[in-house]
Amino acid sequence: MYLSENEVRDIATYTRIRLNKDAVREMTVYLNEVLDGLKPITQYQLEGVEPTFHPIAGLVNVMRDDVIHPGFSQAEALANAPDEQEGQFRITPILGGEGV
Amino acid sequence: MNFTEYAALRVADIRAGLLKGDFTAHELAQAAGDAYQVMDGPLHAFLQPTPGLAQARAEALDQRIAGQSCDAANRRQKGSGTLAPTGQARFTDTVSTGNAFGAHTNHSLLPNNADLRLAGVPIAFKDNMNQLGTRTTCASRMLENYESTYTATCVDRALAAGALPLGKLNMDEFAFGSSTESSAFGTTQNPWDLSRVPGGSSGGSAAAVASGITTVALGSDTGGSIRQPAAFCGVVGFKPTYGVVSRYGVVAFGSSLDQVGAFGRSVGCVAAATDAICGRDVRDCTSQDSAANFEAAALAGVEQGIKGMKIGVVREYLSLSGLEAEVIRALEDAIGHLECLGAHIQEVELPNARAALSAYYVIGPCEAFSNLSRFDSVRYGYRQCGANNLNEQCERSRAAGFGPETIRRVMLGSYLLSSGVYHTYYYPAQQVRTLITQDYQRAFASVDALLTPVSPRTAFSFGEITDPTQMYLSDVFTIPINIAGNGGLSLPVGLGSDSGLPVAVQLIGPQFQDENILRVAAALEARYDIERLAPLYQRLLEAKGEDAYRVVNKRQNANERQRVDEKGMQSNNNERCCPAGQQHLAANNPDPENERGRAKDS
Repeated sequence: MYLSENEVRDIATYTRIRLNKDAVREMTVYLNEVLDGLKPITQYQLEGVEPTFHPIAGLVNVMRDDVIHPGFSQAEALANAPDEQEGQFRITPILGGEGV
Repeated sequence: MNFTEYAALRVADIRAGLLKGDFTAHELAQAAGDAYQVMDGPLHAFLQPTPGLAQARAEALDQRIAGQSCDAANRRQKGSGTLAPTGQARFTDTVSTGNAFGAHTNHSLLPNNADLRLAGVPIAFKDNMNQLGTRTTCASRMLENYESTYTATCVDRALAAGALPLGKLNMDEFAFGSSTESSAFGTTQNPWDLSRVPGGSSGGSAAAVASGITTVALGSDTGGSIRQPAAFCGVVGFKPTYGVVSRYGVVAFGSSLDQVGAFGRSVGCVAAATDAICGRDVRDCTSQDSAANFEAAALAGVEQGIKGMKIGVVREYLSLSGLEAEVIRALEDAIGHLECLGAHIQEVELPNARAALSAYYVIGPCEAFSNLSRFDSVRYGYRQCGANNLNEQCERSRAAGFGPETIRRVMLGSYLLSSGVYHTYYYPAQQVRTLITQDYQRAFASVDALLTPVSPRTAFSFGEITDPTQMYLSDVFTIPINIAGNGGLSLPVGLGSDSGLPVAVQLIGPQFQDENILRVAAALEARYDIERLAPLYQRLLEAKGEDAYRVVNKRQNANERQRVDEKGMQSNNNERCCPAGQQHLAANNPDPENERGRAKDS
């Protein structure tokens, strides 16, 4: 057992996903099963092996001239907003209510 | 053009036929629409058909070709030139679609001096690829109503090359899956056997090509999501080396693993499509310049053969638990064919490949967690109403908007990247990635390509694999090259002797030498006399009898009338050109470039 239900609840909180009790229980079983399958990674002798964060070796920074190009307009940026007001994203209060 | 004629056409046939005047792009778009009407009900490969977009582009293409022919005739009359050779024609176009967001994409139907290598080719896109005028849902409730405000580079390039966009295709939600069962909008069925999955995550792409609705489809491959569904549906699926095709505008899953590629019913088709979409893109700094000519490489495989090429086989793969006997037999047959072609078969070792699955299920979820953190219920995506504060709104929206597999993956990634855990899993996984990459480098020092299975088994039945960790095993042969970045191609080699379902082999090449893959694949393809088109259309016609025939015959009769009309006058009436079901869509979407029909929801 790698993770308890309490720990999974904490993970859900910082993943910003609200899970009910049953979902937490199912997720705990799943995560423990997967972590068991990831054992080979923890058992490898990797001393002195450099990590590869990107599959293509030898990439260099790609530079371009600092030229102004058209970007999203305000209307385009707001086109899929769940809610908007006066050309801005409208959200529920950041402060107030439970859970603050 | 009837379905048999339509489905027999390959990319090169379409290009040649259009320029010779054997048929029009308009007829191709109509034949595609007919095929969709007959088959997509039971198949459910499409989430959003775009017949209006296809028709508009077909008409622009036909006008351009007609104009080019007139110009050439005039030049010939004046003794000043001839039509460009087939497949090399370059046209100019002045049609403007008047889209609102022209700042980001060239929206001319056929851009000036377009190299029309996909002229008239019916194409459809996995629904994680943005295309103006469509919704891009990633088969998720989270993006159910998301309307693209720009076009992905791969889509843009395919359209600029003259392709006819038929619609957006079903997939596993956010590409998390191997069966398309995790789509929020219903499963796609395998056209060879409707009780079986088409594979995933690009299951809609594979099914749409295998059924014959489209000639080419694009998909994305993070751990096998092009190659495995191609194998399950008996079509060719090609994931080029990471960086060959721009990822700009493709909704990200694993940014160091994702690569766009093509499906087709022949090696030549996927080669032509890849030629059209590859190359550096300033909007994706990981994309690379490409001097490759994949179509020429495929042609070379057929015309010049592969005598003397060295093909590696990984003996330890054959003893893997769960590998079905018919898959092993198919691989051994392919080895025999390669030897007959004069290739040298050589055993190679990939000792660290066994750790690839573990490394993938660390790296993939971590990158997915990072990428999917953008769905915050503020800027776009699903918002759950009634929350008391922003934090609660975000938590509730993500819980309701994401499906179960997506939640599993982001939860896993979130945990693996957390403080203290990072050095237990994530960092070692990236070190293992180095070892896997070195394995391939060593192997390719002595061979030109590798031959492996694609999937341990043929297509499974719906609901057969319910344990997510068992599902992950179906990608055991495809995942290692996403870890290493190499290109790979799934080549169908016939129906399995036990299951009667498509079986495929995988060809893998050195990084940025994907021509090797296309060359060997084309040579090997020529050795097999197999059917790439699933028998769905025929079966449906037999099952439905006259009802289904009526749809097609009505269209064919209308085509005949159209030809007669056009002799007397030039017609630009879009609605008259649409099949019955499409007229409804066209009526709801009078602007063909603003076609936002509701995603099908089953």
